[in-house]
Amino acid sequence: MLETYRGTYFHPRTQFITIDTSGNVLESDNVLFALKKGDDISSVSGFFEGLASYFDANEDNDIKFTCIHLENKEQREYTCDIEFKTFANDQPALVIIHDFSDHYKYYQEVAQSRNESVINSQILELKNKYLKEKEDFKNTFIANFSHELRNPLTGVTAFCSVLQKTDMTLEQQDYVEVIKSSADHLKNMIGDILEVSKIEVGKLSLNEELFDFHELIEMLEFTYSVKAKQKNIEFEIEFDEKIPRYIESDKTRIKQVLENLIENALKFTLSGKITVSIKQNQRRARKVNLNISVQDTGIGIPEEKLEVIFNSFTQLNNAQKFIGTGLGLSIVKGLVELLEGKITVESKVKAGSTFKININLKYPINQESTSLERKSDIERKNYLSKEKYNILLAEDSELAQMAVLKILAQEGNFFLDIITNGEDVIESVIHNEYDLILMDIRMPGTHGDELTKMIRSLPVQNCKTIPILALTANLYDTDKKRYKKMGMTDIIEKPFDESTLLKKIYKYLK
Amino acid sequence: MKKASKKIILLGHFGVGKSSLIRQFVENTFTSDYKVTIGVHILKKEVEISPDETISLIIWDLEGYDDIKKTRASYLLGTHGFIYVFDVTRPATFENLENDIAYLTDQYANTPLKVVGNKADLVTKTYLKENKDMFGVAPDFFTSAKTGDKVDDMFTALAKELVK
Ligand SMILES: Nc1nc2c(ncn2[C@@H]2O[C@H](COP(=O)(O)OP(=O)(O)OP(=O)(O)O)[C@@H](O)[C@H]2O)c(=O)[nH]1
Ligand SMILES: [Mg+2]
Repeated sequence: MLETYRGTYFHPRTQFITIDTSGNVLESDNVLFALKKGDDISSVSGFFEGLASYFDANEDNDIKFTCIHLENKEQREYTCDIEFKTFANDQPALVIIHDFSDHYKYYQEVAQSRNESVINSQILELKNKYLKEKEDFKNTFIANFSHELRNPLTGVTAFCSVLQKTDMTLEQQDYVEVIKSSADHLKNMIGDILEVSKIEVGKLSLNEELFDFHELIEMLEFTYSVKAKQKNIEFEIEFDEKIPRYIESDKTRIKQVLENLIENALKFTLSGKITVSIKQNQRRARKVNLNISVQDTGIGIPEEKLEVIFNSFTQLNNAQKFIGTGLGLSIVKGLVELLEGKITVESKVKAGSTFKININLKYPINQESTSLERKSDIERKNYLSKEKYNILLAEDSELAQMAVLKILAQEGNFFLDIITNGEDVIESVIHNEYDLILMDIRMPGTHGDELTKMIRSLPVQNCKTIPILALTANLYDTDKKRYKKMGMTDIIEKPFDESTLLKKIYKYLK
Repeated sequence: MKKASKKIILLGHFGVGKSSLIRQFVENTFTSDYKVTIGVHILKKEVEISPDETISLIIWDLEGYDDIKKTRASYLLGTHGFIYVFDVTRPATFENLENDIAYLTDQYANTPLKVVGNKADLVTKTYLKENKDMFGVAPDFFTSAKTGDKVDDMFTALAKELVK
């Protein structure tokens, strides 16, 4: 029986062929490939041509090949292992072909899915890398570009302040006012753009301080009531008095978030009411959880746009009546997230929008004994001890030089030395006793931060303590930190106006 | 007269386009489907290397490896020329180019070798020019199996070196 079965079901898959020294077939059992005596073995496949130099080897040798694809005359494919044996003493060479097609078919499928998945993940990784590079390039470009815009703007705003103090006709004063407010507007927009690019490259960090939260809200209420009245809109802040007065957080950022949301509401509301609600949710372990909402009766946001309003560079309503960069909400979202809060929005077209924030703020347990020492910096000028102060200005831009010069000249308390080149600064610091140094960062020769480090290490009395204030438009936190580390006392952001500059100077003079 | 026949081998990572280059060269066709080669396929093509000289190329299309040293030794027996193919868009396929080429020139000092950056149609000429140092070894050709650009040139250049 076994023999019958064997006869029925056993298909030999191995072919034996003998060849002569020039590769012509002597004998073949033709299990896979039909060959006649005298056929060139290479007619089966070019594979055998590569073996031609071994056909007449006349020595004992055995070469094995795996996974060779061969085709018969009917174009049927076989995947085979091939053995090639030569013998000493003039015996003919033997070719053995094993058909392992089924086995290799399985192997092919495995390799197929492995290779495809490896390649796909490589391509995905590349795509992400490329996208990220593009995004980083965009943000760095924007940051650098807005940075460059700040320098000339410093000149414009500073000279407007100076010009306003000269004798002018009423008409001229109006013109200057227009220039100034346009410049301020431009400054705000550039500020927005810088802010967004900083948030997007993750270069913004929090600056925590203790501050009077109630006072901040009162201030906002005052400012925006006036603005709302001008637009004939109602404005109300519902404030929960249970909220701790003193909060420990980044006051500037919190203020910025609230201002942006209220400004946004004002911008898109033509009639009706804006309601700001600030409620305490719960207190736990030195943290108070707040629900803040800003609700308006404005034009509203269509549902399909709700997802994109927090993206940078989208402005929903491109109609001319709403001006601005459209970056406000994207900044708000970035800041809220930086403060570890959450922001959501609900809106109905033509009925209005509500922005909701949930946030945790730290507060000191003992509110009663907390007090904020406050003395306006500019008031300090009345308590100064000297009549005249020596100030060194290291700055290469003529516009900035002029601006500082004019502002300080009006005060009448200062002698000003101006040096335009990094190298000369050290020399001058050694030979003069300055009360304060205003230091530009980007100067020809040595940069301001390097110079500061050098000054701090000079063996001259007072060099360790003299206030050195950086003048810079470079507002990345990493840069700020570096400036401080190099020994700078404080930073004055470009563009600065008269009062900012004076405030900072008076703050550090003794 | 029996024409001289020469065995050449295409090496390189999987998916770089070895089979596609051969298909373009032999059949003038291209497909974007990827069928992974296992083991080896052997194809033949007559190449005219001068008006009165033609040789027959036996082209071995090997399965792709990520390590050249894993190539089955028997496949390399009696090889007359190598083509090392990488994919200009995938760094993984040329990360080891320098080492692999050093290995080949060391092991097979007298065997002609062409280094080929394939899929050139997916990047710009400027990109290739500006980034040519990225590959570690200066490629002899940038080819596209898809458009056929430089494919014949590359095979013919190697063929000419084989009969020198
Ligand atoms: N755009 C483009 N795609 C190509 C080119 N060459 C090959 N491809 C594609 O790349 C994939 C892989 O091509 P193959 O020729 O199979 O690659 P291989 O090197 O033989 O791969 P293995 O056999 O696995 O080693 C296929 O989808 C091809 O269509 C090319 O020049 N341009
Ligand atoms: Mg292949």
